[in-house]
Amino acid sequence: MFLTRSEYDRGVNTFSPEGRLFQVEYAIEAIKLGSTTVGVRTPEGVVLGVEKRVQSPLLESSSIEKIMEIDRHLGCAMSGLTADARTMIDHARVTSQNHAFTYDERIKVESVTQAVCDLALRFGESVHDEDAMMSRPFGVALLIAGIDELGPQLFHTDPSGTFVRYDAKAIGSGSEAAQSELQDKWHKQMTLQEAQILVLRVLKQVMEEKLDHHNVQLAQVLPTTGFEILDEVRLKEIVDIM
Amino acid sequence: MPDGSFAHPQQRQFNPYTDNGGTILAIAGADFTVIAGDTRQSEGYSIQTRYAPKVFRLTDRAVLAVNGFAADGNMFVKKVKQRLEWYRHAHAKDMPLRAIARLIQTMLYAQRFFPYYVYNILGGIEEDGTGAVYSFDPVGSYEREACRAAGAAQSLVQPFLDNQIYFKNQKAAAGQTHPTHLPLSDVLSIVIDSFTSATERHIEVGDGLEIFVVVTKGHSPQGLESIRNVQEVTTRADTDRMFVIRRELKKD
Amino acid sequence: MAAASVYSGAGFDFTNEVRNTFLTDRGIPLPKATSTGTTIVGCLFKDGIILGADTRATEGPIVADKNCEKIHYITDNIRCCGAGTAADTEFTTALISSNMELHALSTGRKPRVVTAMTMLKQMLFRYQGHIGAALVLGGVDTTGPQLFTIHPHGSTDKLPYVTMGSGSLAAMAIFEAKWRPNMERAEALDLVCAAISAGIFNDLGSGSNVDACVITASHTEMLRNFVKPNERAVKERSYQFRRGTTEYKKEEIRSLVVEEDVTYISAARGAEGEAMDTS
Repeated sequence: MFLTRSEYDRGVNTFSPEGRLFQVEYAIEAIKLGSTTVGVRTPEGVVLGVEKRVQSPLLESSSIEKIMEIDRHLGCAMSGLTADARTMIDHARVTSQNHAFTYDERIKVESVTQAVCDLALRFGESVHDEDAMMSRPFGVALLIAGIDELGPQLFHTDPSGTFVRYDAKAIGSGSEAAQSELQDKWHKQMTLQEAQILVLRVLKQVMEEKLDHHNVQLAQVLPTTGFEILDEVRLKEIVDIM
Repeated sequence: MPDGSFAHPQQRQFNPYTDNGGTILAIAGADFTVIAGDTRQSEGYSIQTRYAPKVFRLTDRAVLAVNGFAADGNMFVKKVKQRLEWYRHAHAKDMPLRAIARLIQTMLYAQRFFPYYVYNILGGIEEDGTGAVYSFDPVGSYEREACRAAGAAQSLVQPFLDNQIYFKNQKAAAGQTHPTHLPLSDVLSIVIDSFTSATERHIEVGDGLEIFVVVTKGHSPQGLESIRNVQEVTTRADTDRMFVIRRELKKD
Repeated sequence: MAAASVYSGAGFDFTNEVRNTFLTDRGIPLPKATSTGTTIVGCLFKDGIILGADTRATEGPIVADKNCEKIHYITDNIRCCGAGTAADTEFTTALISSNMELHALSTGRKPRVVTAMTMLKQMLFRYQGHIGAALVLGGVDTTGPQLFTIHPHGSTDKLPYVTMGSGSLAAMAIFEAKWRPNMERAEALDLVCAAISAGIFNDLGSGSNVDACVITASHTEMLRNFVKPNERAVKERSYQFRRGTTEYKKEEIRSLVVEEDVTYISAARGAEGEAMDTS
């Protein structure tokens, strides 16, 4: 049989001779096609922001859901194949509820992130008699924001099941430019409002369309109110301040 | 019938449970908790051993006392400890007391139709630094309380605690109120007297007494200095402190 | 004095039997009788018999009496240790004691142990085990030292060393290891003490103190609380309650002093009073 190097990118569970899993790498590539998503951590709480690509004037922009609640103290923003994120967020929600049921406490942000990443690597060919599983890697990256006893935290996960904690992180198509902007502007003692504005500014820079309260979405996780998606009225206020 | 016919109805039974006697008790203070148990393990009129611990240290700030069917008790403690270890690996911290309480509920209720024949009393220090006692029934119903006795001599000891800890049936002197928490020295005296008295009047209580004392981090274990045979079992600096007091009880 | 309105015959009264069976069937069990969980022993030695007993009485797992007497008097030279239902052992031994006294009076002889043994076994057999008395009977009579055990159904044994009650195995272990024929009094007393102690410490139905009774041809010595290895621990606290601790809903004070105004008719006789005539 004719074996070129590219043959190795067929199986999701086959390493290439250089020790790479091409399908996972391609999945990571898929995220770079996704809309830009930004997360910023401050001592007051965590802010998440996403760009909503409104491809058609007939599209109801409010139906685009790229930020979701995992639990009262946990939120999540995504970029990439957002459909895949549903599976992962479902898993995160179940994990969080199970934890609360079993231990009568809120799950830690890192623990729920770990649970999601455990799922991210559970792909391949299902063995006889086993439940049907994911046949390919998830094509989505997540920014998981939350608050626990260690304070406000922001985690980034990718299709390889790797997760890292960030003070500020951008993913998606405009992530490169956005990330360097975050690096310049982020500082330790940022207020929540500064973070909200920073997120919008970064999104604005990398968006093709003009940013307004219809084509972005902001969410935050605070110690007091927990996770919430900012409604258009509040979003507009911040856009106006910016 | 022995001939194998079905002419007469017959019943066979297997009873996997036994009662191994003994008594446990816990009292919460403002910034400490005392958890105690005797060390006799018996079956019927026989003593199986004079030293079988019923009180176990779970974490730096949690202690579990188990009483009832000893085999189930030991296995249950083993499984709780395993779950605590897993939790530590998964979440990089010791499980807080109220989380342990909830975990014990879920573990007990999981065995709803073949229960662990055990009464559990969990004692220790809460996240907010207060002393706490949680008591459980064999299938997981639980409650946080200031004090609880369980086991063979529960019916002897609990009324005594109700009177001495909750001041039941005691009218306060004019213009005064009963304290909500007693100091450690008083609590220790009450615990010791509970066990010496239970030993006098209950045949399944005796041989030895093991008392665990957990004191909130940064608080002084005042009242412990005058007690004989105190051993500190704190493992790390900068945590709540834990002590064990061992006493002899009558052996008849 | 008027005769009792209802005739009451001698012996047991079975009138409640049917009612109690009915109640038991309806799920109301009979009240639990005090049982002397008990270790009782007896052994032969050079000069006679030594009986021993612990002093714990129980009601289920609860200690009902920490220092009861289980060595019962039959006659001056015969004693009987009782295990089982406390009331049965006490009543049975007392009854036999009475009958032995009457028997001694009517025969004019010193009572014999076999007589007591026979009376006991016949009574217990008649009641088919319903009288829960397990006994160790010992004494010295004209035929020499005698030692018996009597089981609740009426069977008896005659042996040089015997034990009964829930602690019988613990006590017998000691006898089997250390008893020898013709032991001295002190040795035998130590042995009985060790046997009872084995019961006290290893059998939950037995506890507290050791009672012993040494019976020789000339003398019977009851050693009540011969050893007390289980003194009560001193309490850590005083449990004196402040006066007024117990609340009450109603207070009513009644004067119990009867006051009486006495008006004297004659002033002369009243004030001084007349001296009593003591002549």
